[in-house]
Amino acid sequence: MKVLVTVKEVAEVEEDFELDGLRVADQYLDYDLNEWDEYAVEEAVQIAEESDDDVEVVAVTIGPERSEETIRMALAKGVDRAVRVWDDALDGVDLLDVGAKTRLLSAVVEDEDPDLVLTGVQANDDSFGATGVSLASAIDFEWAAVVNALDLDADGGVANVRRELEGGVEELTEVDLPAVLTIQTGINEPRYASLRGIRQAQSKEIKPLALSDLGLDAAAVESDLVLTDVYEPETESAATYFEGDAGEQAAELATVLREKGVGAQ
Amino acid sequence: MDYSLSDEQRAIREEVRRFAENEVAPVAGEYDEAEKYPAEVVRKASEMGLTGAHFPVEYGGVGYSSLENALVTEELFAVDPGIGLCITSAGFGAEAIISFGTDDQKERFLPPITEGESVMGAAISEPQAGSDVTSVRTRAEKDGDEWVINGTKMWITNGSVGDYFVVMCQTDPDADDRYAGFSQIIVEADRDGFSADKITGKMGIRASDTAELVFDDVRVPEENLVGTEGMGFLQLMQFFDETRTAVAAQAVGIAKGACERALDYAKEREQFGRSIGDFQAIQHKLAEMHTATEAARQLTYKSAWSVDNDEDQLTALASMAKEFASNVATDVADEAVQIHGGAGFVNDHDVERLYRDAKITQIYEGTTEIQKNIIARELLGKGF
Ligand SMILES: Cc1cc2nc3c(=O)[nH]c(=O)nc-3n(C[C@H](O)[C@H](O)[C@H](O)COP(=O)(O)OP(=O)(O)OC[C@H]3O[C@@H](n4cnc5c(N)ncnc54)[C@H](O)[C@@H]3O)c2cc1C
Repeated sequence: MKVLVTVKEVAEVEEDFELDGLRVADQYLDYDLNEWDEYAVEEAVQIAEESDDDVEVVAVTIGPERSEETIRMALAKGVDRAVRVWDDALDGVDLLDVGAKTRLLSAVVEDEDPDLVLTGVQANDDSFGATGVSLASAIDFEWAAVVNALDLDADGGVANVRRELEGGVEELTEVDLPAVLTIQTGINEPRYASLRGIRQAQSKEIKPLALSDLGLDAAAVESDLVLTDVYEPETESAATYFEGDAGEQAAELATVLREKGVGAQ
Repeated sequence: MDYSLSDEQRAIREEVRRFAENEVAPVAGEYDEAEKYPAEVVRKASEMGLTGAHFPVEYGGVGYSSLENALVTEELFAVDPGIGLCITSAGFGAEAIISFGTDDQKERFLPPITEGESVMGAAISEPQAGSDVTSVRTRAEKDGDEWVINGTKMWITNGSVGDYFVVMCQTDPDADDRYAGFSQIIVEADRDGFSADKITGKMGIRASDTAELVFDDVRVPEENLVGTEGMGFLQLMQFFDETRTAVAAQAVGIAKGACERALDYAKEREQFGRSIGDFQAIQHKLAEMHTATEAARQLTYKSAWSVDNDEDQLTALASMAKEFASNVATDVADEAVQIHGGAGFVNDHDVERLYRDAKITQIYEGTTEIQKNIIARELLGKGF
């Protein structure tokens, strides 16, 4: 069995920062693995560890060479090997939209032929939250989004999943393999890379693939979305501080709540 | 000459720091205040491979060199020296077993450390034998196929939580040479006649366990002797350079932690309508602290590198690194408290703890004065 995990290196912005054109200036950015992908990686590695059969876990990312450091941490946690898609044509792209990501990842899926694809629910930089499902549709896999519990029956070809819906509602459902599951945070407890794992990861493969290696050309990364502006939203201070002892503070709070309509019939 | 860390070394630093920020930082104050050994944190650290990381791979370690050990130590101590010491000291004393032990000893005593099941210690110091290690009086006498041990060890890290100790014993009081006549013997804590009394009221590294060990007719089988009878002190000395380098790395970590917190606070705290980091007096402090820390780090890394690559220059370098870095740690922690003003004088800021913790690096593994003696001895070619 083969599990493909899509992973992404995302930039985290420091508290105080400056903009540089259409992006946050580089010195204010820290790069790390997308939080949701941490959970997807852990889930995949646990599937491999718990299975009696041979399970290969492959990570795929779309990212420049710099992202290898981050991807290698996933290898240190037990992913067997990685594929990194990058191309000169991607260098100038400010915003890779869901369609473009889907085209690239579909080509990788075709290459790798996995039984299960795990993605994060979303990436915490551009937060589209759509790539997993869009990919499933493009490659014609079954799918389930926002999965927060997974019990895989590989022999039966079924993933028993629990999905988080809006308003605290959850759904239990079965998804036939091959499938794409978008993984929610909290599904497991991501491990730290062990020191041994870090050592082993240094000799694991991160295969670079250009568009042409995937049978694609520059048209594949053309985006319908164009980034036109980046700005810091005005922050309004909406905090009200109540003074006085507990009784006075409670009275003030009650007044405010009543004004807001709490308790109105 | 190459000053850059490898990809692997950078990854170690990053992941160990992440572990320390998530698992150590939130509980550091609590364990310090309670003087409690953080068994749970040490167990988690062992899952990641942080206990006994320098043990050979076949015994569960990663086979780390001194430089990698220094990186791990630095990151842990930058977050919290007390818990950092608990983690890095879990395998104290194991060097002797790794280098001189039998296969059977290695099988029995090394894997439990890396698996997080056991903790060990090195018992050398005694009430009357501190800087003068050769005045050790704990006596081991052969009786049939057993060693019978009597004596008291003082200041033993992991003393009341450890499962076994490599104990420096006098086995031949009549030896001519003052360095001969000692042997290293492994004593398990569950042997009859062994007792440990935890020492409380420490100024710093209070999460780390320190105890007085009493051996009252403790009997261990003769196969618990490590290496060669009568060679204990010479065996121990082989590792002084490594253990001193490790303490230098602890000190660099403490200095680094103090620097980071001082810089953050200087940016955040406002007085006279601006952040205190705008005042040149504070800027100069920060500049000096970071410069001194970097100098200590480079000396420590060079010493660590020398452990693996250049034995000839090592002894003086290890003492220089230990002596210099421990002074930097105490000075930098002092300045970090100063930059925090009153806030740094109470324990809701980490610098208060770092200030107390820094001091030990000038005392254990040979005091500052002893390090200077060694450096001078090496310079003047007085030999050992
Ligand atoms: C928290 C803690 C943990 C420890 N852990 C361990 C452990 O795990 N195992 C272990 O065996 N020991 C351990 N020790 C003991 C430690 O190594 C000794 O405390 C240290 O070596 C100093 O010995 P001492 O305390 O007897 O001081 P002393 O040797 O009595 O020194 C007192 C003062 O005299 C100075 N002095 C002594 N001799 C000379 C000289 N020749 N020239 C100039 N100045 C000199 C010293 O520098 C110092 O300033 C620990 C100690 C502490 C506090």
